[in-house]
Amino acid sequence: MVNFEQHHRKGSALRDTAIEGKDPVFDAWLSEQLQLGEPYLDDNGFCDRVMAELPVSSRRAERRASGFQYLAVLAASGIVAWQFPFGEVLSEAARQSISLYSLVGMGMLSSLVVMAGGILAARH
Amino acid sequence: MDLDDEGLIRRAVENGDQRAYAQLVRRYQSQLRFSLRQLCGGDQGLADDMAQEAFIKAYKALPAFRGDARFSTWLYRIAYNLVMSHKRKNTPEVDQEAVDKAQADESVEEAQQLAMARDLDSAMESLSDVQRQAIHLSLQRGFSHEETANIMKLPLGTVKSHINRARAKLRSLLQPWHEEVVNG
Repeated sequence: MVNFEQHHRKGSALRDTAIEGKDPVFDAWLSEQLQLGEPYLDDNGFCDRVMAELPVSSRRAERRASGFQYLAVLAASGIVAWQFPFGEVLSEAARQSISLYSLVGMGMLSSLVVMAGGILAARH
Repeated sequence: MDLDDEGLIRRAVENGDQRAYAQLVRRYQSQLRFSLRQLCGGDQGLADDMAQEAFIKAYKALPAFRGDARFSTWLYRIAYNLVMSHKRKNTPEVDQEAVDKAQADESVEEAQQLAMARDLDSAMESLSDVQRQAIHLSLQRGFSHEETANIMKLPLGTVKSHINRARAKLRSLLQPWHEEVVNG
């Protein structure tokens, strides 16, 4: 049976600081006898029981929450794009002689606003 | 890969890696459970419950672990606090059946070893609780006197005094066995 310190420094004797008595030989012998009589306790599901009781890792939960947020934003953007009457807007723009550049600019601007709004909404 | 305690703690805290913490649990479960069985008067069920609670409490407090002490010292301190707190709340009852079973499980093959183990047990039982704990932590677990004092929440001088008195008593009780080994 190895003690904690020996676990870190295999093969080493008992820590010097632990042997502060006047009879280090007796201390070393006693330490050895105490350790000899100590059985190794099999895990027998102990580790599993501990792990089952641990709280969910907060970092993992954060990453999972961020993933859900991005998915929500993407889904919202998809619905907006699906419902937006691109055809009508384009034909109306052509009828009113609005330039394609200003139309694209307006589209990008409104997309940015929608995205920013979606992200803000998801974060709160 | 067999990481040291610091590496496993870093993984558990920074990456939320619970498998790293599971490795720490596996590394220390036997020794902690054995120590707590002694502290709980042989009540294996209570000792295991306390050990489980100690590991869970240590995990929750892991981000606050500064590494001033070794993980084992810190874990032991948490476990000892839990047991002492439990003992304060409950009247201590020794489960004699559990004690007998624990002693029966300790199979020492040779008759001489068995006799010496029994004498060692009796000698340890003759110590006061606090002396026995101090000897267990310092000589059986290899904690330094400072670490033992830290775990037991006692002044260093008091712990040294307990260890010295316990050692003197054990020496007088076990001297024949010690001489037999020394003289061959």
